[in-house]
Amino acid sequence: MKSRALRRTVIVTAAVSTAAMALAGCASSSGSSGSGDSNEKITLTVTTFGTMGLDSLYKKYEDSHPNITIKATNIDTGDNALTDWQTKQAAGSGLPDVQAVEEGWLAKVMQVSDSFTDLRDYGADKISDNWVDWKVKQATDANGRIIGYGTDIGPEGLCYNSKLFAAAGLPTDRDDVAKLFGGDDATWEDFFKIGEEYHEKTGKAWYDQSGFIWNSMVNQLPEGYYTSDGQLNVENNAELKARWALLAQGAADGLSSNQTQWDWGGGKAFVDGSFATFVCPGWMLGNLKGSTEAAGGDASSGWDFADVFPGGPANWGGSFLTVPTTSKHPKEAAELAQYLTSEQSQVTAFQAAGAFPSNIKAQSDSGVTGASELTAFFNDAPIGKILAKRAEGVVAQYKGPDDSVIQSQVFGPSVQLLDAGKADGTKAWNNAIKLLNQLVVNK
Amino acid sequence: MTSTLSSPPRRQTRPNAPQPAASNSRLTLRQRLNRWDVRYSPYFYVAPFFILFGLVGLFPLLYTFVVSLNDWNLLTGPGDWVGFHNFAAELTDPLFWNSVFNTFSIFFLSAIPQLIAATVIAAVLDQNLRAKTFWRISVILPYVVTPVAVTLIFSNMFGEKYGLINNLLEAFHLPGVMWKSDTLPAHIAIATMVNWRWTGYNALILLAAMQAVPRDLHESAAIDGAGAVRRFFSITIPSIKPTFIFVIITATIGGLQIFTEPKLFNAASAIPGGAQRQYQTTVLYLWDLAFNRQQFGKAAAVAWILFLIIVIVGLVNFLLTRSISGAETKAISRRKARRLARVRERDAASVASVQAEGSIE
Repeated sequence: MKSRALRRTVIVTAAVSTAAMALAGCASSSGSSGSGDSNEKITLTVTTFGTMGLDSLYKKYEDSHPNITIKATNIDTGDNALTDWQTKQAAGSGLPDVQAVEEGWLAKVMQVSDSFTDLRDYGADKISDNWVDWKVKQATDANGRIIGYGTDIGPEGLCYNSKLFAAAGLPTDRDDVAKLFGGDDATWEDFFKIGEEYHEKTGKAWYDQSGFIWNSMVNQLPEGYYTSDGQLNVENNAELKARWALLAQGAADGLSSNQTQWDWGGGKAFVDGSFATFVCPGWMLGNLKGSTEAAGGDASSGWDFADVFPGGPANWGGSFLTVPTTSKHPKEAAELAQYLTSEQSQVTAFQAAGAFPSNIKAQSDSGVTGASELTAFFNDAPIGKILAKRAEGVVAQYKGPDDSVIQSQVFGPSVQLLDAGKADGTKAWNNAIKLLNQLVVNK
Repeated sequence: MTSTLSSPPRRQTRPNAPQPAASNSRLTLRQRLNRWDVRYSPYFYVAPFFILFGLVGLFPLLYTFVVSLNDWNLLTGPGDWVGFHNFAAELTDPLFWNSVFNTFSIFFLSAIPQLIAATVIAAVLDQNLRAKTFWRISVILPYVVTPVAVTLIFSNMFGEKYGLINNLLEAFHLPGVMWKSDTLPAHIAIATMVNWRWTGYNALILLAAMQAVPRDLHESAAIDGAGAVRRFFSITIPSIKPTFIFVIITATIGGLQIFTEPKLFNAASAIPGGAQRQYQTTVLYLWDLAFNRQQFGKAAAVAWILFLIIVIVGLVNFLLTRSISGAETKAISRRKARRLARVRERDAASVASVQAEGSIE
């Protein structure tokens, strides 16, 4: 099967390159100077998702490049963006000039990495020192081609509601909160223990739902569902099992509010005191603010951001900007992608959406470490500085081709069983293993 | 239709042609064109439909079948030819059967109340109401709203923690219903959306059929002493049988292909159709296979199995409807036939007697 796929790829590549040569021939014979003409009117399409904070940059780029018009599409969630990309990729048409790709489905992208432009052709290898090294490594395929420019990374800190903390007699100052959870040595055991105390005092839930907790628990391990050399490793993974037991106990004790992910009752759950803590990768801060405001809340709702995370440094998500080979203007598209991920752009994106820069210089830029609308919402927390500290020691985990299926379809149902109180830890784990065999192992 | 179209030119050509039976070579070019026009243009006129159908209907259908015979990954393309392995694998997959169960459960929960309500509404609208047009337009309004909007609104209303319906229940100190995590409530919620959208549409179609029922039938039945209910069951229902069959078949096809409502019922769910696949219909399962699990070949196989299921259910419905509402009509027609035979006998007898009289004279 592999050789067949390879042969097909070779044929397709040959066909594409022939077509490209033919097109280039046409262009040079009819146009005055081909694709290098800077006055040629070009429309570049960009597809992003979630809140990436790039909107204001498009306008700026158009102003400095009068011949370029940008048509941007933003899809609500990464999952929907994945469906959109897959459909277009399978159909072989409709892909934009610049496609945002999420780390969670990067493994799928790597299956067809040769349908993305090698950005080294446009100088990616010369500027690769601008990014944290593991970000570039993630975007490099098996043949050493760099297919994406890193936008943000998702170092995780802990969001907490200081009003609810105060009501339960817990410290409210973010440094004290960080100490309460154990500072650099914070463990999940501590997190759940404090949760028990909070629950006893208030009768309320500790976190919104178990899905994000499980996600963080898996993401921060050196090896997740796959070993570093690409072997599936779930069923007998002691580390995963131990963490699952903690999660199950927490849910059984009523620490989970059993909210609907990405909905939270239209944001109401962030305002009505349903839960007091929330796992916050950099990009989640924008989501939290947006959801709270959608439900009529504001800075006075009490959310704050602490420089601590149970179980040590963790990274969740982060994206890349790629240029599909179907783009008619790969050079211009690559330039735009480079601009959108440049130091200054990443600073802007951070201020707009809390998307923490993967660009090293941007991380220490005063625009990232300073105040913004976002810091105002989070009780003037120095979000940039906290995230920079949270990013220290993060190691990017290897993601296998079925990582997203395992996360959402194998463990998703079991996490929900725990939250709904319909199964204990063992039963839910066995259910997940059954699904794993059904969906991934024997597919 | 063809004969009315063809007659004028013939009438024109015939007087000019001395021998109508002459061979084609004797005809002028104009005459020959005329003849071709008559013979072939109808095919030309209907061709656009068939060309379009071939492109967007038949070709995808056959191509899907080809895909279903391969181990086909959505992203990396076709792999090995596996014959009917995908069909066999899906027919033994519990998740597939779960989706079939959900589809039929939602189908029954929606189709049956929907058709009953549509018939009743149509019967009411068939009466002499004031502001007829207003009522009829009101009934079709839900159909005008796009399903996505309907689903978003209903999905919000059926929210477990912050939804309108559970809030109302709690106001009356009743326990909230887990509309999105329990199977039966989820099915009922989705069926409600379907009913809200389609009842009025079906009611209008049935109303049109009811209005075509001859009024004198009703009048004579009324004179014979039949009440409104009796007339409804003995005259209206049997008379609109063909329309009923149409409505049932379209409801079957639509009901078994339900997608938007369960897909958006909990839009954020990573698994389409609920975390435990409580309301994952077969079309959703197919979509999940293709786009989340990248198994394009198996998804194509599911598409074909679904196609066959719909054809079978459609046929069963057709036969059932025909035999149920046909029983009464058959009885009536048998009675009619007997009466007719008697009348004919009498006529024949009288004619014979008249002839006999004539022969005597």
